[in-house]
Amino acid sequence: MKAPAPHFDREVALGELLRSVPGEKLGAALTKVLGGCWHMVEGDGTPVLGPGAGLAPRTAADPVAVPLHVDMEIVGTLVASGAPRELVEGTAAWLELMLASVRRYRMAADLHLEVVNMDYEILQREHAALQKSEERYRELAAQLERRVATQVEAIELAQRQLYQAEKMASVGSLAAGMAHEINNPIGFIGSNLTTAIDYVDSMRLALLAFHGGDRDGAQALWRKVKLDLVLEDFPVLLSESAAGAQRIARIVAKLKDYASIDSGAMAEVDLSDAVRTVASILGDQIPQGVELAMDLQSLPKILCDRGRLNQVITSLLQNSLHAVIKGGVIRLTTRVTGGEIRIAVSDNGCGIAPEVLSRIFDPFFTTRDVGKGTGLGLTVSRDIVAAHGGRIEVESAVGNGSTFTVCLPLADGVRLGTTA
Amino acid sequence: MAELDEQRNRLTVKLVYYGPALSGKTTNLTRLHDLLAPGLKGEMMTLETEGDRTLFFDLLPLGFTAPSGLRVKFKLFTVPGQVIHDGTRKAVLSRADGVIFVADSQRNQVMNNGVSFDNLMRNTATVGLDSTLPLVVQFNKRDLSDILSEAEIMERWAGAAWPLTFACALEGSGVIETFAAALRGVYDCLDDKFSLQERHGLSRESFAAGAGA
Repeated sequence: MKAPAPHFDREVALGELLRSVPGEKLGAALTKVLGGCWHMVEGDGTPVLGPGAGLAPRTAADPVAVPLHVDMEIVGTLVASGAPRELVEGTAAWLELMLASVRRYRMAADLHLEVVNMDYEILQREHAALQKSEERYRELAAQLERRVATQVEAIELAQRQLYQAEKMASVGSLAAGMAHEINNPIGFIGSNLTTAIDYVDSMRLALLAFHGGDRDGAQALWRKVKLDLVLEDFPVLLSESAAGAQRIARIVAKLKDYASIDSGAMAEVDLSDAVRTVASILGDQIPQGVELAMDLQSLPKILCDRGRLNQVITSLLQNSLHAVIKGGVIRLTTRVTGGEIRIAVSDNGCGIAPEVLSRIFDPFFTTRDVGKGTGLGLTVSRDIVAAHGGRIEVESAVGNGSTFTVCLPLADGVRLGTTA
Repeated sequence: MAELDEQRNRLTVKLVYYGPALSGKTTNLTRLHDLLAPGLKGEMMTLETEGDRTLFFDLLPLGFTAPSGLRVKFKLFTVPGQVIHDGTRKAVLSRADGVIFVADSQRNQVMNNGVSFDNLMRNTATVGLDSTLPLVVQFNKRDLSDILSEAEIMERWAGAAWPLTFACALEGSGVIETFAAALRGVYDCLDDKFSLQERHGLSRESFAAGAGA
């Protein structure tokens, strides 16, 4: 940092003023006029210029001393020996004129310097302030980025957990239904087998007596345990149990169909098949008085995550089942219209009030009792469909039922009529 | 800030004529130079003008000797009024002991006066001067036709703490009165600091009279 510039309006000593004048030429000119015996001194007597400058003060007999004024101030003295007083005074007047002019120039130059320095200082201060604020801004931006990243991470984690929770909830409700379905055949198969064990025991005793040659004993046993009836009922029991086992096998196969593909893999799927699978699994849970009507067309296969779309259809169908709990008709329709696949789930149940309709896709919004619904079914469904480039349309009127339509775009190259 | 040079027994006082462009600052100084009869009067120094507009500053040195022998020297400066010369204005304003704000009385100059006055207030703070800096506001050009009346001006500036004066610098009227008003304000500050009355036998009136006002 430079030393501050001197004030432009300061007092300037004679020596400083004369620095702007070529000293030798001035000295020569003065010597020509005043002779070889003159010098100039500062106000305090310090010699400045002249043949006598720097030497001891002269002891001439007739020195003439004339003060030199600049700006009303005496800045120094012109001393000469051997020259007439008028000549010394006249020379001093000339010198004053010159000094005034030099002073003017110096003031302007110093003022300019002062202004430039002042501006430079201001510029430096502003620059420093700008740098500081830029640094602060950078720091804030970095901080903000870090915070956003953390928040995004937290949100993503929470979302994954919620989606998992919703999936578990739907799997849970599905499992409860399935358990009931499987429990019924297992119950009668078990009871049939217990009876069969009794039958076999009775037959064993009769046969052993017969084999031992005790014909009368065998006859008596035959009658006692009513082997005629046993022989008639036994095959019925077995075929009934076999049918039950087949029923369980069918249910398990459907479950496998529904669940085993839920691996996140993309596959080419006819979504009517998906609708059928879901309907057959949930169909067993349909209460009395509810009719499930299906109008499914063969659809062009599209590349999709079947497990996820199963979840969507399940969710919509479960909602419809809730809407027609007191009886009604649920209609499942698949169509290809306007370059997209449309899967409609409609019911003639209670319908959705307008103020509720605007919120049904909001996370955690539910009209069911606490613990009965996560409020995420439709949220997750909308996200899954959106991830496939599609959307869910809703039409509903209170008392007339609702229609939810999943619209999915056909892949490029797949057009109506090229159905596989 | 005024300097008391003990060694040379001299007090130097700096007064600055401030105001919008072409309001008559230089004319004020020229008239003072013509009209004043102080103990000591220097030559008026005018530094470079461009079509009658001040580029750097004008300087009028004045002075007198107090009964105590103290030499009081006044340096009267003008600043360039044009907006672009703000740096020069700040440098000239630095170390001032008092300010005379020369306003243009014409109705169409009200805005320019306001802008320049704001500029004065801002620069006063920038160059580190006290807000109690003695200030006189002169409304110049009273000879022109479309001007604010004295009553209007008095009303508008009623809340101001500074003395108001009216002048026609071109004719010379009001110029000395303005200068005298400024000297009175400056005297009070200097008396506090340097005990002018007590140590130098210099009263408020003799201070102004010495400067010829």
